[in-house]
Parts: sequence; C-alpha cells; structure tokens
Amino acid sequence: MQYFALIVPLLFLGVFLFAAAKRVKVYDAFTEGVKGAIPLILNIFPYMAAIFMLTALFEESGLSAKLCDFLAPAFEFAGIPREIIKLLIIKPFSGSGATALLSELLETYGADSYICRCAAVCYGSSETVFYIGAVYFATVRERRFAAAVVISLAAALAAAVLGCFLCRIM
Amino acid sequence: MNGIFLVLFLLCAGYFLLFAPESFLPVLLSGATRAGTVCLSLVAVYCVWMGLMQVMEACGLNRLLSRGLRPAVKGLFDTDDEGAVECLSMNLSANMLGLSGAATPFGIRAAERLDGGKNIRYNQSMLFVLNATSVQILPTTVLGLLLSYGAADAYSIILPSLLSTAASTLLGVLGVKLLIRKDERRSRRRGRKEKKCSTSP
Repeated sequence: MQYFALIVPLLFLGVFLFAAAKRVKVYDAFTEGVKGAIPLILNIFPYMAAIFMLTALFEESGLSAKLCDFLAPAFEFAGIPREIIKLLIIKPFSGSGATALLSELLETYGADSYICRCAAVCYGSSETVFYIGAVYFATVRERRFAAAVVISLAAALAAAVLGCFLCRIM
Repeated sequence: MNGIFLVLFLLCAGYFLLFAPESFLPVLLSGATRAGTVCLSLVAVYCVWMGLMQVMEACGLNRLLSRGLRPAVKGLFDTDDEGAVECLSMNLSANMLGLSGAATPFGIRAAERLDGGKNIRYNQSMLFVLNATSVQILPTTVLGLLLSYGAADAYSIILPSLLSTAASTLLGVLGVKLLIRKDERRSRRRGRKEKKCSTSP
C-alpha cells in the first residue's frame, strides 16, 4: 500500500527526466498541455450539470430508495446482502454518493464485517457508469453506446454477485 | 442517453409534483452546484494530467507505451487510427494504475478520434465498457477507506476484489464482442446489399 503512493511521483520524475534527456522543453510542453484543461471542462460541463441535477432529483425524490426496495428480493436471492443493495444502485449514478455510503456502512458495521468486505469489493469492481457516458462522449458527434450501458451494468451486477460469493468463501 | 434522461427526469419531476413541489427547485439547484464544484476540482486534476500528457507526447513516451500495449488494444478495438491507438493505450494504462483523473482526458480524446472512423458503435462501446467496469489492479481508494476505519485485515479484500473486477471486465468485453460486433457486421452486409441493389438497374 505504501509503495503504491510512490507511483505518481515516480511517474512524474521518470517522464520529466526522460523528456529532459530528449531535449524537450518541459516547461513549454507542460503549459501547452494545461491549456487544454479549460476547454475540456467547458465541453463537459453542460452534460455534468444535467447528470448531476438528475442524480439529485433521483436521490432526493426517494425513487432510488423505492428502486432499492423493489429490487431487494432479487438481489438477496443472488446472495447480495440487503445492506449493500443501495450501494450497488447508487454507484452507477454517483461516485461521491457511493463513497459516502461505503463510509456509512464501515461506521455502522465495522471494517472487518462480512457486509463491509462485500461492500468494498462491490465498490471497487465498477465505475460510475452514467458519469462516464456523460463525460467521455460529451464532445462526440455520434453517440452510439446505449447497448454498452446495459452491458456494463449487467457486468457490474454479475461481478457483485461473484464478489459477495468470494467474500463468503475466502 | 436522451431516452434515459427524459424518462428518469419525468418520473422524478412527477414524483416531486405530487409529494414535495416546493423542494423541486432547491434540489435541482443543489445538483447544479455539485456539478460546478466537481468541475472545478476536475479542472485541477486535468491541469496536472494534461500537462504531463503533453510532456509525454513531446518526448515520444506515448508512442513507446502504445507500441507495448498495441497487441492488447488491437485485439479489443477495431481501428486503424494510430492516434486513437495511442490515446486508448494511455487510457487503459492510467485506468489500470487507478489514476482515473489521468484516464479521463485520454478517454475523451480517444472517443473523439474514434468518432467518424470505422466501426464507431463497436469501438465506442468497447471504450465505454472498459472504463465503466474498472480495470484497476489495486483498489487503492477502498483499501485506504478500510484502513482508515481500522480494518484488521484490509488486504484480504484484494484477491476477491481483483477477481470480481476481472470478471466484470471480461464479461463486459465479451458482451461487446458478442452483441455489438455482430450488429455492425450485419449492418455492413446490409450496406453492401444495398449497394448491389442500387447498381443493378
């Protein structure tokens, strides 16, 4: 774990040294790259705003809780503890929401509980699907990944089932 | 995306109309505020990584890395665009290291390069699935959280985590390969047929 923190500084050190050895003007190149950050954000922003407004509505209206209740029996049948279902449903919509939920679970059940181990595995095995859809393809003219959303969600669900099973036997 | 957005939005709006009409606008505003703050923090993240990215490009490290990952990328994607292959390999390697902030600008650039090329639907779907199912090797965020809550054996989740992440990615890739490739071929064949039809009088 502590070695993992070395990756980022090593990456920068390595790249900059390599660039210097290749006689690249590092300062000029770096600033040139940074220049692209603002236009990129401007491109993404409208989609982010729309998605975040929708997420807020979805969570605050209690519809997400209703969806959890509705789906709970099916999830429990697949071996996923009831406490994690909300996490699984929030995760595709909001990364920060999922992180908050995971901390909540950790506080309630303790970090070494079966539930939290499952939650941790489920949290790690998928990303915020809708956010990726909004951000990655914001500037693209032809958006044709609707089927990919379904595939990703299905894969994440299958991974969660497997993860909970593995937590039980490992 | 348009369909999903509209349906979900209408459902939520209807719910608010019936049960809590006065909190509808505050909730919308809080969502927009969050978008603003997230975008601000993303500006910082992109400044760091896009700066580094440009330096890597200037000294040819991008090309070196993409040469190493080329077989993998070529196996997953169907594109002839060298720039796209480069962005895709950078996106994949950043994701594997768990640097999602670095992965995003590459992913966006890759999506732009893939747009307008061949097999758009297949390539976009593959890019989407790879990024959505997480290919991270070490779940650093989760490990950090577990440790901060005093887990005695936080590292015991690494193996199940790795296996389930691998499973989700594999399933996703398989799904795209099986479901979407076929579709593309069929439409291409149909395209050819149409051409034949139009040439014959």
